[in-house]
Amino acid sequence: MLLADLFYPVNPLYLEFSVVLLGLALLVVEAFVPGCSKKALALIGVTGLLLILLATWLPWQPLDPSMASAHFYTWDALALFFKRFMIVMTILTMLMSLPFVPSIERSIPGEKSGSGVGEFFILPIFACASLMWLVSAVNFIMLFVSLECLSIVLYVAITYFRNDSKSLEAGTKYLILSALATGFLVYGIAWIFGTTGTMSINELSKAIAGLPLSSLTPLLFGIGLILVAFCFKIGAVPFQFWLPDVYQGAPTPITAFLSVASKAGGFVILLRLLEQLYTIPLLAKKMSVIVLALAVMTLLFGNLAAMAQSNMKRLLAYSSIAHTGYLLMAVVSIGAPLMGMAIQCYLAAYLLMTSLAFLVLLIVSQKLSNDELYSFQGLHQRSPFLACAMTIAMASLAGLPLTIGFIGKLFVFEVALQQRHYGLVVIGSISVVAGLYYYLKVVRAMYWQQPSEGAYPIVVSKKIGCLIGALAGGIVVLGIYPAPLFFLFK
Amino acid sequence: MIPLSHYLMVSGLLFALGLGGVMVRRNLIIIFMCLEMMLSAANLSLVAFARYGLIEGHPNYEGQMLVFFIITVAAAEVALGLAIIVALFRKEQTTHTEDLNSMKF
Repeated sequence: MLLADLFYPVNPLYLEFSVVLLGLALLVVEAFVPGCSKKALALIGVTGLLLILLATWLPWQPLDPSMASAHFYTWDALALFFKRFMIVMTILTMLMSLPFVPSIERSIPGEKSGSGVGEFFILPIFACASLMWLVSAVNFIMLFVSLECLSIVLYVAITYFRNDSKSLEAGTKYLILSALATGFLVYGIAWIFGTTGTMSINELSKAIAGLPLSSLTPLLFGIGLILVAFCFKIGAVPFQFWLPDVYQGAPTPITAFLSVASKAGGFVILLRLLEQLYTIPLLAKKMSVIVLALAVMTLLFGNLAAMAQSNMKRLLAYSSIAHTGYLLMAVVSIGAPLMGMAIQCYLAAYLLMTSLAFLVLLIVSQKLSNDELYSFQGLHQRSPFLACAMTIAMASLAGLPLTIGFIGKLFVFEVALQQRHYGLVVIGSISVVAGLYYYLKVVRAMYWQQPSEGAYPIVVSKKIGCLIGALAGGIVVLGIYPAPLFFLFK
Repeated sequence: MIPLSHYLMVSGLLFALGLGGVMVRRNLIIIFMCLEMMLSAANLSLVAFARYGLIEGHPNYEGQMLVFFIITVAAAEVALGLAIIVALFRKEQTTHTEDLNSMKF
């Protein structure tokens, strides 16, 4: 009884603490246990994260609103869903890093083999903890601190290959542009704080409602600066220019993490902020015009620029910009009853298909040690299994029926129609057609083109095969029968 | 007492200088310095807003709280950023942004 009182229900703040503790424990093990295999380290990390993922279903105690932490941290359905989302993505990133070990060892020469591999597995855990804090943040201070924790981990992770000029270049670009976004964010926060006198995102609409009309201009200035910062984070046009270079230069598992987890975190905060601003009619009108313009530009630019790409990682980077566009389509329709669900569903689909695409890319590119599109040529002769998995990923990214990507797009278009954004839906449809072109370009390379010189058959190890099979199976099964997915959203 | 607008003017000037520097300059170290200047501009406005936005006669300390976090984060960012720039210099013998062009399609 006493023991049960101690553990049930527990303060939800412990979730993030346990993730951080797991990361620290792994660092200590890595440093002080002699002869500890790096793979074992990764498996301990994955097991720990799985346990924490299971623990999110425990009956957690709701936060006492009088507690100081409740002004910083929220524990609602949105936060809970995205905490699980972040943990799943971190687990996938760590599993993806396992077949990536030879590349890490090649890029980081050390006195003994395997030096520098351990940290590569541990970094995503810290990023996961900061993202979990980020999705719960309801205060600008909390938001800033968790966002910066994430950025700092990502600087290290992107620049991880310190002898590879591409990785260094990507890291430097991310460092400068992310720090620039931070500058905008903080200055924007300062102006919002100055006009409303509050740092709380939850009380923002109440504070704005009591303001005189004359303070609207400084408020809009602040909101605009913050929007710029978040457009950087989610990769919306015209603040997307860092994205292709960083995605191409970063180590592939980190690219996957960046494109899924970091983007999802940005969207959660954008949602929380816009939901508050949309309650003020005067601001709602202005905001919806801005977000609409962003969505249109992002959709068109992402899809049209992706068509010309010959590097697979760059292609996926532009495709990730395009997916930001679809997500913004849903964000424009704030107020539609299914809007939150559409975004969650789309991001869940995006997680599965992007992870699968990057996983296959990682295995294929490792054999030829380049990630150009031509290394996919004739993949169906070299490894029919990988070619099939990549086809499923591409079909899902393009949004073809019977895949989960279709369900996600269906929802997004549905909410946009509900809110009568007909023009946006037309542009969305055009970009879906444009998307088909470049996703099917990959499929064409795999099935209809001859393999280039020196392309050997690729043997996939059983464990990785299981992971690929699970992801591809998830995409197809949830695409045909999405009910289990909806269970997660309630 | 100096009015709030003076502080905001100076901080706006600092921010504009920082932003201009990031856009115009080509040396990574200078760009990094300008980024820090933008953060300082935000700090200045935050402290000024906190001091002048009185709640029952006391300054609104939330703004000052954020300033402390910004200072800490900026220090961490500088430590890492300079390390990255040093690593870049070792590999490429350059700290100029024009030379960062190995990835173009």
